Amino acid sequence: MGQSVSGSANSLSITAGAQSGLSEEDDRILRGLRAGIESAYEELIDRYQQPVYSIVYRLGSGADACDVVQEVFLKIFRNVGSFQEKSSLRTWIFRIAVNEAHNHRRWFARHCKREVAIEKNEDEYTYSLEHAPDPGRSPFDQALDSETRALIERALAEINPVFRAAVVLRDIENLSYEEVAEILQVSLGTVKSRILRGREALRRELSQKLEQGLAQAFG
Amino acid sequence: MTCFGAKRHSTAYLDERLDSIKRCQVAAHVLSCESCSSHFEQIGAVKGALDNMPRPLAPARLRTQLHVLASRERQLIELNGGSRLLAAWDRWRFRMDQMMRPLTIPATGGLLSSLILFGTLAFTIGTTTRVVSYEVPVAYQDQTEANQLPFELRTARVILNMSFDSTGHLQDYAFADGAAIDAGHLQYTNVTMPQFPSVLALAHPTSGDIRISFTPLAFRQ
Repeated sequence: MGQSVSGSANSLSITAGAQSGLSEEDDRILRGLRAGIESAYEELIDRYQQPVYSIVYRLGSGADACDVVQEVFLKIFRNVGSFQEKSSLRTWIFRIAVNEAHNHRRWFARHCKREVAIEKNEDEYTYSLEHAPDPGRSPFDQALDSETRALIERALAEINPVFRAAVVLRDIENLSYEEVAEILQVSLGTVKSRILRGREALRRELSQKLEQGLAQAFG
Repeated sequence: MTCFGAKRHSTAYLDERLDSIKRCQVAAHVLSCESCSSHFEQIGAVKGALDNMPRPLAPARLRTQLHVLASRERQLIELNGGSRLLAAWDRWRFRMDQMMRPLTIPATGGLLSSLILFGTLAFTIGTTTRVVSYEVPVAYQDQTEANQLPFELRTARVILNMSFDSTGHLQDYAFADGAAIDAGHLQYTNVTMPQFPSVLALAHPTSGDIRISFTPLAFRQ
């Protein structure tokens, strides 16, 4: 391959040719991780922390999203040696994230469903910070946006997790059908079907919720 | 194109993944069908709304936690000379240790108590002595009950000197005292010292001269 890795605890200097399925950037990070170079770990965290958190949060981990993200990264660090480079690093990481989120949801459903949190959810607070008032929009528009987002979040939480995963990856994370298929480890046809059914379920949920809201407002 | 077919292709249509012929067919149907038009509009709105959904912002502490995690993992690998296999072995050992630790005290307690119990009982195995009374049972408590029994104790004690051979058979005997015994003459050949199991277990076979004292028992007339 003609690749060489040299580095110390604080530096990373890698010359590598991109392999099949891996971009040059991915390849550089991957070799750094395998060599135990600190800057590679930092780059991985900087690059994937936010998207992994987003996926895990949307797939139903909610308040425990931070814990699940840590689990995801722990798996990445420990299994990077066995990554076979048949897919891109991003796809591999997202696959771990989706699987961990599903595992956590199942575990939560078995053990903690009846528990009620009494502390304020820090993530909700953080989430609201991101939507700080936009000076270009009126307070009414901002309130409407916030309401719409909350409505969609609730509807998204209601639909089947299998369809939700496909819809989140496609419509929120903007991944291609092929990438979604690779992450979920299903065929392209199945991905199309899941996205179709997921959007349809979401449309029904939103319609119901809007009708309920109207009935409450005018009834 | 039917309504069912058009709806089935709604996702691919909106994501522009249909070939031109199919796309034209679906577009033509949607234009002509009010129900499908409304459906496509709604699905398109859902897709648009999802597309505009902002990403939840990861809390600042997560970054710190991940860096700590990465540092710990790197340290673990460095400690094992860069070998992930050794690091995995270390983790497995740590997990096993954590799993077994709660069982340590009960298991040790059980082992120690069984050792103590066994150790105490071990000294008694094989040396157990059974106290056996060879006295004639006296099954009465007062004179009234005693009179109902078919035999009675004589008042005089008898002292008997006996000689035994090495096999325990009686060779000769003589009354040292209380010669008035009316039990008749002892049958030499039928008298043998009883096989006291407890005595025989510890002592040599009974032989030589033995002097015994007893109170004779007689049947009531």
